[in-house]
Amino acid sequence: MENKRLLSWFATLSLAIFAVLGFTLPSGARSLAIQIMVFSIFAMGYDISLGFTNQCSLGHSIFFGVGAYGAILSIAKMKTGAIGAVGSGLGAGFVVALILGLICVRLSEAYFVIVTAIISAVFHLLAMDMTWLTGGDDGITVIPPALFGKFTQLSLSNPLVNYYFVLLFLTVTYLILVRMLRAPLGKVFAAIRGNDTRALFLGYNVFRYKLIAFIISGVCGALSGALYALTLRYASADFFSFYWSIVPIVWCLIGGLGTLVGCFIGVALMSIFQYYVSAWFTHYLLLFGVLILVILRVSIKGVLGYVLKRGSG
Amino acid sequence: MAGQYTDYVLEVHNISKHFGGLTAVDNVSYFVGKNEIKGLIGPNGAGKTTLFNLITGYLKPNSGKVYLNGVDITGDPPDKICRMGLSRTFQLTLIFPDMTVYDCIWVGLYSRRKRPWNLLFSRIERKGEIAEKVEEICHLVGLESRMDEVATDLSYGDQKILEIAMALSTDPVLLLLDEPTQGVSPKEAENIVALIERLSQKMSIVLIEHDIDIVMRVCRTITVLNFGKVVAEGSCEEIASNSDVQKIYLGVEGT
Amino acid sequence: MGELISTVLFLFVNGMIWGLIIALISLGLSLIFGVMGIVNMAHGDIYMVGAVISISLFPFLGNFWLALLVVPLIVGFFAAPVERFILRPYEGHPSVTMIATTGISFIIQQIVLATYGGIPKKMLNPWPVSFNLFGVEYEGYRLLIAVISIGILIGLWLILYKTSYGILVRASIQDRNMASAMGIDVNRVLMMTFVLGCILAAIAGVLAAPITQVFYLMGNDVVLLAFIVVIVGGLGSLEGTLFAALSLSCVEGVLSAVMSPTQSRATILVIMIVILMIRPRGLFAEK
Repeated sequence: MENKRLLSWFATLSLAIFAVLGFTLPSGARSLAIQIMVFSIFAMGYDISLGFTNQCSLGHSIFFGVGAYGAILSIAKMKTGAIGAVGSGLGAGFVVALILGLICVRLSEAYFVIVTAIISAVFHLLAMDMTWLTGGDDGITVIPPALFGKFTQLSLSNPLVNYYFVLLFLTVTYLILVRMLRAPLGKVFAAIRGNDTRALFLGYNVFRYKLIAFIISGVCGALSGALYALTLRYASADFFSFYWSIVPIVWCLIGGLGTLVGCFIGVALMSIFQYYVSAWFTHYLLLFGVLILVILRVSIKGVLGYVLKRGSG
Repeated sequence: MAGQYTDYVLEVHNISKHFGGLTAVDNVSYFVGKNEIKGLIGPNGAGKTTLFNLITGYLKPNSGKVYLNGVDITGDPPDKICRMGLSRTFQLTLIFPDMTVYDCIWVGLYSRRKRPWNLLFSRIERKGEIAEKVEEICHLVGLESRMDEVATDLSYGDQKILEIAMALSTDPVLLLLDEPTQGVSPKEAENIVALIERLSQKMSIVLIEHDIDIVMRVCRTITVLNFGKVVAEGSCEEIASNSDVQKIYLGVEGT
Repeated sequence: MGELISTVLFLFVNGMIWGLIIALISLGLSLIFGVMGIVNMAHGDIYMVGAVISISLFPFLGNFWLALLVVPLIVGFFAAPVERFILRPYEGHPSVTMIATTGISFIIQQIVLATYGGIPKKMLNPWPVSFNLFGVEYEGYRLLIAVISIGILIGLWLILYKTSYGILVRASIQDRNMASAMGIDVNRVLMMTFVLGCILAAIAGVLAAPITQVFYLMGNDVVLLAFIVVIVGGLGSLEGTLFAALSLSCVEGVLSAVMSPTQSRATILVIMIVILMIRPRGLFAEK
């Protein structure tokens, strides 16, 4: 299908651009690019939940925060290297996603949204309160770790290493996700999205597949949180704030829901806006709000959705 | 008396369903034999669709039992019942609007496979066992020329046929059709009726219909439901000459 | 022991008063969501705008009661074109309205930040008397909030149950398509409902201005709570929303005698999850 090819090209091109930019960008813009890559992982995962199985979760800040603290605490308390930290974040994210999914996925639409939102708020409050563990709003800071505990040559304190470390995870995540979606699993997701009752009556345990999607989505959120915390060298209770639950929706909807990679555009737009526009206009969020409204007016399906429709129509 | 009559594909014993104060299905017993086509008729609100919902696991009965090929399926979830060989269509025509005809049927066929790793990582081929079966079903229902069309682009009648094709993809022994000709043109209705007649060679069918002519033509036996109760059951001639039934259908011409 | 009781009583009454304010906000949200399918993420900001405008206009109006009358009308006046020109195409698409109203929220918050500034302010107590009931001092103004809120709730009830508009609204909450199929001018009902919902939030903001810190982010705290109250009370049930708002605020208030505010808020959130697990449709859901 034409759409698939277009999306593949877009993804490959984006990754290639990122690969080149690592060496060519000045340090400020490079940090911005790292941020875009980290958030893209988060957004792709969120698209699996909302775009591919219609599960509008408002609890993804939980995964982001858990991933971040998993990484930072494993460095602070257990002296692991960067890979170990990411692994801890992923593991914690998986466990939380499994439990949260078992509780929430069976709920119908509006209740799913609200319960995930409530649990997210609870986590945020607990994170702010349990300062002995989380450091509260001030958070916990760490020294950038070596990649592998013993091999101290390559360390995340080197911005280039940091950059390509993140790019590696982005690429691997993309490849795994796109493989899954091109496999029968993707068609099952599409069926559930199309009409979950019909999928049920064709013999599919819809709950199980939605749970799988939710867990994948949560693990991506946790990975993103871990990488973000490692890049910033700290985690704070703020990582659990409601903002991190809302912003993936903005990224995906602006970029194009259900395209997996459309969200790159949403992430890039918002991050570039925050970075550059905020320099000359402190109230850049106002312009961003207007931008959101304009994009939605032109196409509910977001930027990439619009391009795809124009291409095939 | 579990599964006593193993000749029957479907046995429904004394099934009831209440919603608050309203009794939608009242102590209904129903039996469908192998390769039998039965009609299920009755006025709106008589409980026909509710009975389907109870049999297929969409609703849990308050009392009673359902057996499919001798196995107790009462209270089982719809996906499990489907995997055991019971398929249905809906009045609202549930299909996957944004998927092609090929993919819609493919999804149904794939549900019978149980290899998780394949699910995650194998490629979807346009050749191989499943692909052949998709084409087979498309030929059977007459949609072979429309396989690559998106489901919403089909005419309403073709969408109803597509839904039947999807129901067939799970290889059912019993097919429940809920008003398959409602809202389609007479020519399309003809297509659907011909399809049903072809299918009756291979499986049992229960047909909810409002068009009495179709029911009389296609079904061997007819059950009449009213206010959730079985009012009459018998051959077409018996039902046509039943005075109680005629009273219910005041204004509808008898055959 | 006597001191504990009077403390608890005080917190209970305080919680009840906040509960009434939350109820006004939540009812507005419930109407907007129930009738129009709009997930109004900016609803907390409308509450904030009500508070902010009343503080800003106070020097010109000179009179709190005048502000209470004028500010909601100003807010309602601006709400109408927002619904008509910005939100209408997305009604019925919850995720899209969520994003669109998030965008509107950004815009409103930044405008307030740019004009009113980032420093929290509080309005002067318009009725600085206090009453001594059962050995506890109650601020007169807070009791007045209760009276005014109850009056507005009664007014709302009259609108919804005694006017033809109200019947249309309740019918639309029950079944949108049916309502439009019956030839009701759905668009007018929609706009009036959105305006009504926003006016309720604005009134809550004006009432809250003298008893809380007014700044551009004060809506964020409120909006999630309002959504949860609407769902826990039961989607489509206005009595449920009212009950949930009052009871949850009272419980939170009483709990703050023994826990920190953060912990009390976390506790009532957990209570709400438990309620939803037991009664997934909410406390007073219909159907």
